[in-house]
Amino acid sequence: MKKILLITMLLTSYIFATIKVDTTYSTLGEVAKRVGGELVNVTILGSSKYDPHFIVPKPSLLSKLRRADLLIMNGGGLELGWLPPLLKSANNPKIQPSSIGFLDMSHYINFIDKPTSVSRSFGDVHAQGNPHYSTDPYVVISMAKAIEKKLSQIDPSNKKIYQTNLDKFLKEWDIYLEKLNTKMKTCNNKKVIQYHELFNYFLKRYDIQSYGNIEPLPGISPSSKHTIELIDNIKENNIKIILQDVYHEKKTASFIAQKTGAKVAIIPHEKKQ
Amino acid sequence: MKKIIGLSCILISSVFANQQLDDMKEIIKQQQLRLELLEKKIEINEESKFAKNQDASSSFSQKAYLPDIAFIANMSALARDVENEKYSNYAIDGFINKAGEIPFNKKRGFNLNYGEMEISSSVDPYFDIDAALHIEKEGLHIGELYITTRALPYGLRLKSGKFKSEFGRINSKHQHSWDFSAIPLLFEAYFGAGGLGDEGLQLQYTPPIDTFVQLGFEAMQGGNGRSFGDTDKNNLNIVYLKSSFDLNDEISLLYGGTWMSGKNRDGDTDIYGGDLTIKYIIDSYSSLSWQSELLYRDKDIENETLKQAGLYSEVVFDIDQNWATGVRYDTLFKNIDNQPDDLNRYTAMLQYKPFEFSKIRLQYTYDKSKSFAGKREDIQEIMLGFTIESGAHGAHSF
Repeated sequence: MKKILLITMLLTSYIFATIKVDTTYSTLGEVAKRVGGELVNVTILGSSKYDPHFIVPKPSLLSKLRRADLLIMNGGGLELGWLPPLLKSANNPKIQPSSIGFLDMSHYINFIDKPTSVSRSFGDVHAQGNPHYSTDPYVVISMAKAIEKKLSQIDPSNKKIYQTNLDKFLKEWDIYLEKLNTKMKTCNNKKVIQYHELFNYFLKRYDIQSYGNIEPLPGISPSSKHTIELIDNIKENNIKIILQDVYHEKKTASFIAQKTGAKVAIIPHEKKQ
Repeated sequence: MKKIIGLSCILISSVFANQQLDDMKEIIKQQQLRLELLEKKIEINEESKFAKNQDASSSFSQKAYLPDIAFIANMSALARDVENEKYSNYAIDGFINKAGEIPFNKKRGFNLNYGEMEISSSVDPYFDIDAALHIEKEGLHIGELYITTRALPYGLRLKSGKFKSEFGRINSKHQHSWDFSAIPLLFEAYFGAGGLGDEGLQLQYTPPIDTFVQLGFEAMQGGNGRSFGDTDKNNLNIVYLKSSFDLNDEISLLYGGTWMSGKNRDGDTDIYGGDLTIKYIIDSYSSLSWQSELLYRDKDIENETLKQAGLYSEVVFDIDQNWATGVRYDTLFKNIDNQPDDLNRYTAMLQYKPFEFSKIRLQYTYDKSKSFAGKREDIQEIMLGFTIESGAHGAHSF
């Protein structure tokens, strides 16, 4: 009996000892798992199945935010459409923007595609730049470092463990990157079009040229006029690949593919869950 | 022989050394040139700084602290088979003797319903402020103005000011985020076309458990004349409980209960009821939701207690990013003696959103709940409404 009691006590203390980390998207979540190891319990709020701009603010997410010790968000305006009201009614002072348990990853990222002027008449333009940086595999390094720094700040007694986890993960990631770089060499200067400017960081990293988007303006559904222009563009520039994300409608892409002979490649924008 | 070798060795090495020295000299020379160039550049930069007039326009700039300001506008074109003059005097038998203010879609023809300024900002690490100011033709009207705490411990949050009660589902939402352009009949009958908003204090508690549960307590003045109206002191107390769970990734359930107790000019008013919402998320842009609310009311007048009840139930299908459609059934199914208990209304809508921040809605209403000078009359209405949300507009909740 005593043994059981002891074990449950140990177990509960162990559960309580873990740091509850909520991340808005899955890549951040995966990196947090690697850096935090067994010391953290990671919850991903926005599924990689859905458009990151339009995560449904389900009340069940409130109970997740209510208990979090650390909230890691993407930033750059990507969560503007769903996170603020949740954060406001989760009644958790630990993860407010002014608190120690809040990490806006965008502060550690060099943004590209910064608009010179911002107006809603240009569609869903983000003032800070393109927020879809998680498609660049090198960004994972910055993410891991920032998360290690934050975890060590929240839980200084385990600083060494986070440091070890980080070193180990970065080594693994370096090996992965090397392999990926060799693979990607063949893609140099390839021409593609995409649905939304979702893969710009990835394309820039591997010198792949993007010649246009299926949506006429960010966040605006495709129009027939724009699609026809795009078909001409594809034919003229001899573009072979259409990068399609997992969450937008796929009809327009397959229509364009049919008209031009280009191939549709469905590419995830976050780590698949 | 040895000597010769030795000498030639020295010679060769010295020649090579000379060569190296020359190389070094050349490098140093080049670097010196570069240094000079850089120094010049720095000098020019420094000079230009002084040459230019200092731009002092941002020395005391507080732009970064400006609150988020959004401007919302709503307008409509309307066809109704009742004349305007007659319509403005409608009654709902047993509930409303005479229509009060009709804030939205009042007239046949064109309606500029309102402009609304929504202002929200963090005050400091401890408080947020939110305001919704209605700009109407008659003047400015404070829809909401409240302060919310952001750093209370134990899952508590305090709200104070004038605000829409957060009980149930629809009451705390603003007209621009409703799925149908009129408030449910039940709410119109109990609280008026704007719902229940009042001056008061709210304490909300969210326990730290896996299932979402939220408990709210509101103390209000009781200024809503339809159900309460005795404002001699703060006379209205509201308690609500909300809970939600996900059946799976796609299906969410949200349900809650409400109890409110207040005073009208003749006696007590108690209202109690519940709500249920089921949302099926098909993909990022498409979902199907079914939402219903039911409220009973016991209202004392003179020597009797009026026992009344009603509900609404609506199904809204968000087809894609642009299109949505929905139907709503409204009924006041329980009424006082000698008054009708089949006060129903049917509404259907089709909505097109060119972009997130603008929305065009076509709505048809068949209303069997109104009477004119003691005679019940069915009303049909077709409305084409237009809503825009511009500026720094916050996201809508679930």
